[in-house]
Amino acid sequence: MLENQIMIRAGMKRHKGSYIGIGILLLLTALSLTTVLMIALVGNSYIREEMERAGFGDLTAWASDVPDMEFLLESIREQEGVEGAEVQELVFSEYEANGMESDSEGQMIPWNSGSGQYRFFQNNLSGYAKAPEEIREDEVYVSPSMKSMMDLEPGDTITFPIARGGRKLSLTVAGYYEDPFMGSSMIGMKGFLISEQTYEDICSVIEETGMDALARDGGMIHIETESGMTASEVNRELIENTPLSMYTEFIHSADTIAGFMAILQNAFCAIMAAFAVVLLGVAMAVMGHSISGLVEQEWKNFGILKTLGFTGRKLSGQLLVQYGVTMGVGIILGMLLAVPMTGMVSRMTVTTTGVLLPVRFPLLPCVGILAILLLVPAGFCILRLRKIQRIMPMAAIRGESDRVSVSGTAFFRNGLRAKGLTFHLALRQVLTGRRRYASACLVAALLVFFASLAGRMNGWLGTDGKGMMDAFNPADLDLGVQVMGKLPVEEMEQMVLSYTDIIDSYLLAMPSISVNGTNYTANVITEPERFHISRGQTSREADQVVLTEALAADLGADVGDSVTIRGNKGSREFTVSGIYHCANDMGANLGMSREGYLSIGEDDSRLWCYHYFLEDVSQKQAITKALEQAYGGDVHVHENSWPGLFGIISAMHMMILFLYGMSAVFICIVTGMAGTKILDAERKDMGIYKSIGCSVRMLRLSFAFRFGLVAATGAVIGTLAAMGFTDPVVSTVMRLAGISNFASGNTLGSVLLPGGMVILLFFGFAWLLSGRIRKEDMNVLTAES
Amino acid sequence: MADTILQGEKITRVFQQGKAETKVLDGIDIKIFEKDFTVIMGPSGAGKSTLLYSLSGMDQISGGRVLYRDQEISSLSENRMARLRAEEFGFVFQQTHLVSNLTLLENVLVAGYVSKKDSAEKVKERAANLLRQMDVEEAKDRLSSQVSGGEAQRAAIARAMIGKPGLLFADEPTGALNQANTREVLGLLTDLNRKGQSILMVTHDLQAAARGNRILYLEDGKVCDELALKPYNEMEEKQRERDVSQWLSRLRW
Repeated sequence: MLENQIMIRAGMKRHKGSYIGIGILLLLTALSLTTVLMIALVGNSYIREEMERAGFGDLTAWASDVPDMEFLLESIREQEGVEGAEVQELVFSEYEANGMESDSEGQMIPWNSGSGQYRFFQNNLSGYAKAPEEIREDEVYVSPSMKSMMDLEPGDTITFPIARGGRKLSLTVAGYYEDPFMGSSMIGMKGFLISEQTYEDICSVIEETGMDALARDGGMIHIETESGMTASEVNRELIENTPLSMYTEFIHSADTIAGFMAILQNAFCAIMAAFAVVLLGVAMAVMGHSISGLVEQEWKNFGILKTLGFTGRKLSGQLLVQYGVTMGVGIILGMLLAVPMTGMVSRMTVTTTGVLLPVRFPLLPCVGILAILLLVPAGFCILRLRKIQRIMPMAAIRGESDRVSVSGTAFFRNGLRAKGLTFHLALRQVLTGRRRYASACLVAALLVFFASLAGRMNGWLGTDGKGMMDAFNPADLDLGVQVMGKLPVEEMEQMVLSYTDIIDSYLLAMPSISVNGTNYTANVITEPERFHISRGQTSREADQVVLTEALAADLGADVGDSVTIRGNKGSREFTVSGIYHCANDMGANLGMSREGYLSIGEDDSRLWCYHYFLEDVSQKQAITKALEQAYGGDVHVHENSWPGLFGIISAMHMMILFLYGMSAVFICIVTGMAGTKILDAERKDMGIYKSIGCSVRMLRLSFAFRFGLVAATGAVIGTLAAMGFTDPVVSTVMRLAGISNFASGNTLGSVLLPGGMVILLFFGFAWLLSGRIRKEDMNVLTAES
Repeated sequence: MADTILQGEKITRVFQQGKAETKVLDGIDIKIFEKDFTVIMGPSGAGKSTLLYSLSGMDQISGGRVLYRDQEISSLSENRMARLRAEEFGFVFQQTHLVSNLTLLENVLVAGYVSKKDSAEKVKERAANLLRQMDVEEAKDRLSSQVSGGEAQRAAIARAMIGKPGLLFADEPTGALNQANTREVLGLLTDLNRKGQSILMVTHDLQAAARGNRILYLEDGKVCDELALKPYNEMEEKQRERDVSQWLSRLRW
């Protein structure tokens, strides 16, 4: 036992550089993996818990202009499968803040201090604050995602157009509250907490102005279902047996809402989890290299120790303990650090997710991670350490290692060139010592693959989020204008034309319909050929519809199948003519022609949004501003964007920066570990080169070239892998958000940049490390050595 | 009297290990002449190799100065020293010190390319000639681990000669060789010297020392004595060895 202690202690001391490197790699891997796990698990469960705590039902219907709410509630409660139904009163209204107009209606919710339904944040969003004693009549509390969407901060003003004739309500943002229901910036509709008095006042204005009211009173009807009944079954009952569908804006199940809320963290977690797996692969590659190097370095010592009676098993065991201790310390530290890291990520993303995810340590899954992170590398270690058992003591003492030297004269002949000698020497070193460089090559391939993948996602997203918008829009557009009230369309178009010509236009409506008894949004279009079709044909005929991939999967339908669709006028069968892309409602939507919709739904001029293609696209913002100033609440203008998009883009950019940063750290560690071992092994060679007149600069350059060459090989592999696998891998993640049409762009920059960066980093770190060549003493060549 | 090619003035070398200091060279004054085969002998620990590496700029000196063809080299920058080694010096070590992953030919070529004295084509031609001259032509495409110690050392001599050095330094070149290989290597060095190559060799082998025409005896960090011999081809080998032996006996070696 004592001999083991001595050997292990000495080994740890002698190879502390390697062990520290491996420890750091595993620490970062465990940190990433545990953080992702904590956010994913806690994020999803926390949103559900909060929804339950706040009293939201299994099903929620947004209803407006309900003449007798009590009657409606009673009719709902009477249905089979309904355990209870409660209404949360609110007012639907557009809003404007910081020069930006809302994309969807906001919901002004009266709040009283006794309800305890919502939690409030400190103004710096670093934690929770005590709920206010009251909300003043001129105050409003908003979701933190409004900060990323409209840059709203306490003290800013939000204006709600309540009725025509300039009846606007301006409220000052008093602070932020946590909205587990609509808080995410992925959700367009946003809740605003106002005082009960303000709510009453708004209702009075709506009643008083009648037809001129722009805001509408309504409510969220939270419906509890009985166990054994699914939300969609209850939904079907409600649509068929109650007047709910007459007043409903939309109905969503708690699962759908929670899905909306968690889209971002789930998508980001999936990407980060994939990255953590890549990091684990990198850590293992580095460990493999470290073990080989260590065994090679200690070969003679192992021979000596065997002559003293140590067995191969005992020597392997000692090394395993050394690696085990390193791995254990790194992994456990990483997991512990994940706790503050999760808190930090939670605080950093609160303006995007809308909720402050609690920091909870999911013990069982973390034990699972610990086991995986320990057992997989440990198994790998055992495999790599087996060769110690083959050591013959005297052969090892004589310096006969098991290293297979590259033989064959043809391989070498004429290998070196006078021109570019530095480079050729590097190439020779890599070719003859390729096992030493294999880990660096593998690491480069993995990191380039992942960096390419992240870069391609970033490229798809674009600086203006076009990729994301195209995924959410059923058809392309430059500008969309919805005319409400009495404003003639011609007048609105004249204003647009005063800025630039309209090249083309079409109409789009998004009414609620039900398919086989379940509510969905229909994208009704006057020119169905504008839909982004991925399979089959567009819905040119009045009896045809197109479905998203997600909806087709939900309904179990495919091209050629029939589905029954109900509108507010009646229902009929439609044939699925094709599959199209539209990630709205997480892909739970369908597309149809105007004629098709009018056969089941009532026409209404307020339903239609005019989508324009402009000759001078740069005039979009000027047109938007002019229309809003001239017609206020009578028009709703939107571009190919939505306010929440920029929060998502900046979160995405942050994540990509983080990935690049981690990659750089890993490259630094890998180069450090591999390079140090190589330099140790080549001290004599460096002395020889110096003795024949090679300058330190030449030797350093040659050393850096080696890593550049190895990284270049890895980069080619990684880039090819990224070209082949990015789209399928990212598409899988994107489907979580209902985006089924991910296809990354292949610009020369996006293809070459990650590889180039990784090569440069390897080269740069190797150059820095090679500084020690300057200090290498040529005494290593003296006769006594 | 031949011209001085290398000169050491008051060379001191002190090794420091923690607070302890060991003075290995103690103010040595030494001159090495053109076309001489100079040998440094002395007991183990006398500082022979240290003196060789100090004179060749492979090691730093603690005091004094070294001049090569009247130009001080002990204060040259690292880059200029590297150039000097590439253009003017050749080295042969006890452990052949060939770059392990290069073939014998490539070991020679690299040194030739680095010296930049000739075009690549000429370097190749000269390398082939040298390897032929050293009788390792057949093994030229093998790695050092695939040839005998004698072949490796002969290739090392070829490498040292590829840049047409002004001075060839040899540190115990036969120390790791068997008797047959020792004779071959000594024969080559003698042959090179006969053709005009200046050589400075460190050895503790009497047979090797007898090849030189000037033998310096180093003890306790100082040159204690010197023996001059006729050139190798002008004196019988047995006689040379006897003279050296007697001289060493006088020095109680």
